[in-house]
Amino acid sequence: MAPPPLQLVIVGGGSAGWMCAAACAQLLHPARYTVTLIESDDIGTVGVGEATLPALRDFNELLKIDEAQFMRETQGTFKLGIEFRDWDWPGEHYVHPFGSFGLLWGGVEFQHHWVRARQRGLNPAPLEDYSCAVRACRRNAFEFPDFKNPRSTFFGYAYHFDASLYADFLRRWSIARGVRRIEGQAVDVALHGETGEITGLTLKSGQKIDGDFFVDCSGFRSLLLGDTLGSPWEDWSHWLPCDRAWAVPCERSADFTPFTRSIAKKGGWIWRIPLQHRTGNGHVFSTRFVSEDEARATLLGQLDAPALMEPKLLRFKAGRRAQAWKRNCVGLGLASGFLEPLESTSLFLIQKGIQDLLRLLPAPETGSRSDERLSGEYNRLSDEIYERIRDFLILHYAANRRHGEPLWDHVRSYELPESLRHKLALFESRGHVPYFKDGFFSRDSWLAVLFGQGLMPKRYDRLADLLPVDELAAKLHELHARIATQVDGMPTHADVIARHCGTGAALRQVGT
Amino acid sequence: MSAPRELVILGRDAPVWLAANVMQSALGPAGVRVTVIELPGLSGPADVYATLPALEPLHRRLRIDENRLLAATRGAFTLGMNFIDATRQAPAFFHAYGSTGARIDNVEFLPHWLKARQHGLPVAFEDFCLTAAAAKHGRMLVPDPDIERHGFTDYGYHLPAIPYAAWLKQRALRAGVEVVAARAAHALRDESTGDLVAIAADDERRITGDFFIDATGSDALLMNALGVARDSWRDAFPADRLLVAHAAPLPAPPAYADVRHGESGWVALHPSQVCTHVIHAYSSETSDERALANATQLAGLELQGAQVRRRAPGLRASAWQGNCVAIGAAACDFDALHGADLQAVQIGLVHLLPLFPVAAGCAVERSEYNKNVRAAFERIRDFQSAHYALNRYGGAFWSRARLTPLSAELVRKIGVFRARGDLVHYEDESFDIADWQSLLLGHGVMPETWDPAADRTPPEVVKGELLRILGFIRQKVESQRPHAQFLSNRS
Repeated sequence: MAPPPLQLVIVGGGSAGWMCAAACAQLLHPARYTVTLIESDDIGTVGVGEATLPALRDFNELLKIDEAQFMRETQGTFKLGIEFRDWDWPGEHYVHPFGSFGLLWGGVEFQHHWVRARQRGLNPAPLEDYSCAVRACRRNAFEFPDFKNPRSTFFGYAYHFDASLYADFLRRWSIARGVRRIEGQAVDVALHGETGEITGLTLKSGQKIDGDFFVDCSGFRSLLLGDTLGSPWEDWSHWLPCDRAWAVPCERSADFTPFTRSIAKKGGWIWRIPLQHRTGNGHVFSTRFVSEDEARATLLGQLDAPALMEPKLLRFKAGRRAQAWKRNCVGLGLASGFLEPLESTSLFLIQKGIQDLLRLLPAPETGSRSDERLSGEYNRLSDEIYERIRDFLILHYAANRRHGEPLWDHVRSYELPESLRHKLALFESRGHVPYFKDGFFSRDSWLAVLFGQGLMPKRYDRLADLLPVDELAAKLHELHARIATQVDGMPTHADVIARHCGTGAALRQVGT
Repeated sequence: MSAPRELVILGRDAPVWLAANVMQSALGPAGVRVTVIELPGLSGPADVYATLPALEPLHRRLRIDENRLLAATRGAFTLGMNFIDATRQAPAFFHAYGSTGARIDNVEFLPHWLKARQHGLPVAFEDFCLTAAAAKHGRMLVPDPDIERHGFTDYGYHLPAIPYAAWLKQRALRAGVEVVAARAAHALRDESTGDLVAIAADDERRITGDFFIDATGSDALLMNALGVARDSWRDAFPADRLLVAHAAPLPAPPAYADVRHGESGWVALHPSQVCTHVIHAYSSETSDERALANATQLAGLELQGAQVRRRAPGLRASAWQGNCVAIGAAACDFDALHGADLQAVQIGLVHLLPLFPVAAGCAVERSEYNKNVRAAFERIRDFQSAHYALNRYGGAFWSRARLTPLSAELVRKIGVFRARGDLVHYEDESFDIADWQSLLLGHGVMPETWDPAADRTPPEVVKGELLRILGFIRQKVESQRPHAQFLSNRS
């Protein structure tokens, strides 16, 4: 006989909770898993712009979400990368694109050819000119990439959208597909006397919710994973000292970029995320180096259009829970860790967590809900991705030349994780960036930030010498021209949005 | 000193010549001069390289023409390995170099199969593998667009060792590699830095260089001269003797290796166009005479030219030491199963190319290389360990093999597979997910549960797809040519 369905309980709405609920609704069989989400209308979410990574497109595809509809309903825009201003040095700027620099010639990566061209006096154009995505950013242009046959260099894209509209969108979508939503706030957690597993929750109203497996999406509170099960907090603030953010939306301005902007400041950095109806802004900063008041003033001074409300203050700390899955509970989003949104990894980490969880979720047949073989693998994957992102974020800070500013002096002087030190040494020696099978962050991303932060390899891979110098010069010239032609022909980001998913168009009903 | 310009490769047999070809084609244009000091070969007519599918793309990179390779070496194709239990304790299984089944409803095949099996499906996993089916029917498999859409299929070779080395040597010489033949050689070091400066060939000629490759196989002449420590894996692998012999060619040689497990070890039959190459791995507790009798009996063939070699699996603490890189058995000696020998050579070379020194100091390249190569070797060792640890064969040899210590990575891999059917796939794996599925299922590790995403698909849809896949396989196998005919029609 078929076992009763396993009851999944998701604690907390917001992006993490509703992304998880939506994926469960789409991928799990209702006779085998039931999904309940508990959220409270009292706990508001901050309606700031959210920037994402290209992986989110896979998530939408998994859910069979229509892109244009999703973008209309979340005021979404396209994103080809992130522009970093003043990070290396005030006045300097670069783009980390979702795409490659140049092409592989003779099986050898482009950066080697480019460094060689410089060293051989061929005066190649700046590296970013060999990226179709970066040059599109420079012109506020956009077109859908041809993934199979790129006309010049490869690129992908992601989205900017309003995070609370996104949660609303997924809420409607999930409820239409059978997710049970319960309004309320969990105030008490019951544990099994012997196994220590969570058996149920009590809401403020007194209502009791039983469950077999729990997903903690309660945000920084980490009600289940941290508070109740005591998964220890691993503090990374010695590497990533920012601990506050002011967030404020302003009116949409003429500068409608197909990229996120990140501007380094005395005590941290400011983000700028263009949405269809307004622009999201925020200042991530460290209270060790700048006061809350000063940071607030810095943010307001940076806006390029009138603010739409008073700035809201968010408090956080860099780090993560040592075990993201403990007993019969997994933490997603802030409940499991926090890394500042410098590389737009928040939703990616949630998505990755959900996809790993759904593969490894306990089956209704098995008595135990906490199989250490499954949770151990989940935690290994979680460790790996957190550490890789951590190193990548630290790189942005560590490789700066903003001498004389206390925050920037501090982040230049601390001891780096060994894994990052090794990567920097390899790059400096010969422009080599290790390859990961799982590809995150990709080699191209590392190259963008390494070169962008002003680092330059001393030498290049000798395999690049295969190409005769005059042939190299001709190839560089041809590629440069080809990219220019492609980008010159691209429509503006604003035009593509208006045509593809402008909110002026009639809204279709969600969930039908 | 600046970047190395004089590369000296010391070694013998196919590894030294594969290294020479790879280094010359990649670094010759960058102004690196490649010299090979060739020691007398140890391969005999019975020796064969049973290669993994990864060799073919390396050959292609070297612009090696497959037809000419097979004509020159009289080698054959292999679509996988067939594991048979002559002790009659465990069912046979086929490890094919190709995928099994096809995705159903956007979900991997294995979870669907596991679920169908739970509901009474009587068809084995490997029966859904086109590559295995073609091999077992004596066919070669040539992908067409339908097959490529269906899944992936690949192949390795059985390359007779002597002609393969000779053929690679010819190519290397044509490409401009210099060769010095030597009966013996020893390393000369710089007293102050400890680096190698030259190799003395037959005590008379000094061949100087600024970078060295040790391709001397298990002798590891340069590694030993540099005093690089070695971890023994003897505890992990029960066979320390290897008997090689040859037998008459089979009338219709199949495109796979047949591995037969007897009470005191295993015997593998590798068909080529020249002969049937037979190897027998066993423990020195069995006498060599007894081993020959066992091998003859398990092979069911009259064996000729039998030779016995010691086999001592183990790993060098670092494959790159100072200005010397060890490749193949000089860096890591594997168990003889699974064709890992040439794979070890290839791993060493492929990792070296993008890290070949660009300046005098190369500490960071060295540490990157040693880390990745070690991981790659350890993952192959895990694959081999799993074969021994999970075996259900009869006899003392196999009982002891079951006590093989396992790495933490392998314990995790088996645990997750058993719990969920999901495969933990680390960085630097030589064996694919499909390889691991064959191995683990073949040894009876049956997952307790499956990816819940498979539950969404209605059973009748799955049933229809399963039938469609079986039909597709039947049809495609019938249209393939027999391996022997396929070989003889190539020119």
